[in-house]
Amino acid sequence: LSLIIGLAVFAFAALAQVSAVPEFSILGAQPNLVIALLVAWMAIRPRRESLLLIPAAGLFLGLVDSKPLGLAMLALAPLVLLTEVRELKPVESEFLPAIAVMIMATLAYETTLLLTLTLTGERVDWLASVLDVLVPATVASVLLLVPIYGIVRLLSQDLRRRPAL
Amino acid sequence: MQVRTRTWFTFVVAAAAIFLLGSRFAVFDPLENATLSFTAPIESGLSNATRPVATFVNNLTDVSSVSDKNQALTEENERLKAQVVRLQDAEAELQQLQQQLKIRQPRGGDAFVAAKVFAREPSNSSDVIAIDRGTSDGLTLGMIALTRQGSLIGTVTEVLDDVAWVTLISDPTSAVSATVQASKVQGIVAGSTDGTLTMEFVDRTADVARGDLVVTSAVGGSYPPGELVGEVVDVGQTPQELFKSVTVQPLADLSNIESVIVLTSFEPAQAPRGQP
Repeated sequence: LSLIIGLAVFAFAALAQVSAVPEFSILGAQPNLVIALLVAWMAIRPRRESLLLIPAAGLFLGLVDSKPLGLAMLALAPLVLLTEVRELKPVESEFLPAIAVMIMATLAYETTLLLTLTLTGERVDWLASVLDVLVPATVASVLLLVPIYGIVRLLSQDLRRRPAL
Repeated sequence: MQVRTRTWFTFVVAAAAIFLLGSRFAVFDPLENATLSFTAPIESGLSNATRPVATFVNNLTDVSSVSDKNQALTEENERLKAQVVRLQDAEAELQQLQQQLKIRQPRGGDAFVAAKVFAREPSNSSDVIAIDRGTSDGLTLGMIALTRQGSLIGTVTEVLDDVAWVTLISDPTSAVSATVQASKVQGIVAGSTDGTLTMEFVDRTADVARGDLVVTSAVGGSYPPGELVGEVVDVGQTPQELFKSVTVQPLADLSNIESVIVLTSFEPAQAPRGQP
């Protein structure tokens, strides 16, 4: 049941990411709702759910964005590796590792998209991209993670009573 | 790192690669078209519902910018009013001359399709919008999109049956062949990752000044001539550079486009960059 809820949440998040989120701008960048949700899910929900939801979220996002289908999934793939951070338990808090994961995931996502531009022959000014895209996007997404983490934790208290996959 | 994690990561990357390969050959176009056709009203509703909240929040977090913008708009309003008066005089004179010479209106045959913007590319490194018109409405690759007021906002770079994606002129991959209206100086208006437009390849001796209007040029065949692109807001030059650094501000607010018109009577000589 929680996986079905997860799939519905990420389908809606992908729609919101291309329609509602672009209306908001933090430091000139738009945060990534899908990554923030995935990171919060990874920090709070069972790992098996996250492993299945990462490619699903990439597929949903790919179906509604302008990029070729599969690119969003590829850009989100590093999150699979980052699911291990929680099991390493570097600190007692669940939230601090989530912030670190959010930073790494956003950087990986935006870098993958910039690399794709480079590979398809477009001229990319990497220094300008770091200042104009990577840093603002990371800060914006970390700020978004705070409320998203709170909401997922709150809702998860109900889900935890149900059997996980 | 656990074997299971590595295996799953490999699986996800392989699945993504298969999807990318399929996209290259348009295998998933019907699926994407069906999804976007189904979700367009939902996305449009979400966008409309959040816009007032977003405007309020964005204004709260950017008060100084709003104040500067207000001042700039006031000044621009005054300048435009003066311009309107001059143009009205010029139009009256032109109509008189056209009647005398019986000249047909030069752009009378233009055909347009109006479209609503329902989504925007989620990446910070792209400036692409989705519109609710596609091949079934006569849209093809390379057609240009304008605001309702008539200034250029971008080019159709992906088109499905009922939806299309328009790459805005502020996108880093955008390059518009353009002319400074007053001096007829040619150049390329290019987008960037921070959304600013620069007119490139403007000779250092060229006559370009702040306030000059920039319009599209027919050079290269990708754009019809004379469509308004923006206004020169800064001209810089260093002694060692061959070209002037010309910053252009689009006349349309590209971050807040709700509807567009696509010029369907114009088809480019070649498909836009990055397209097959």
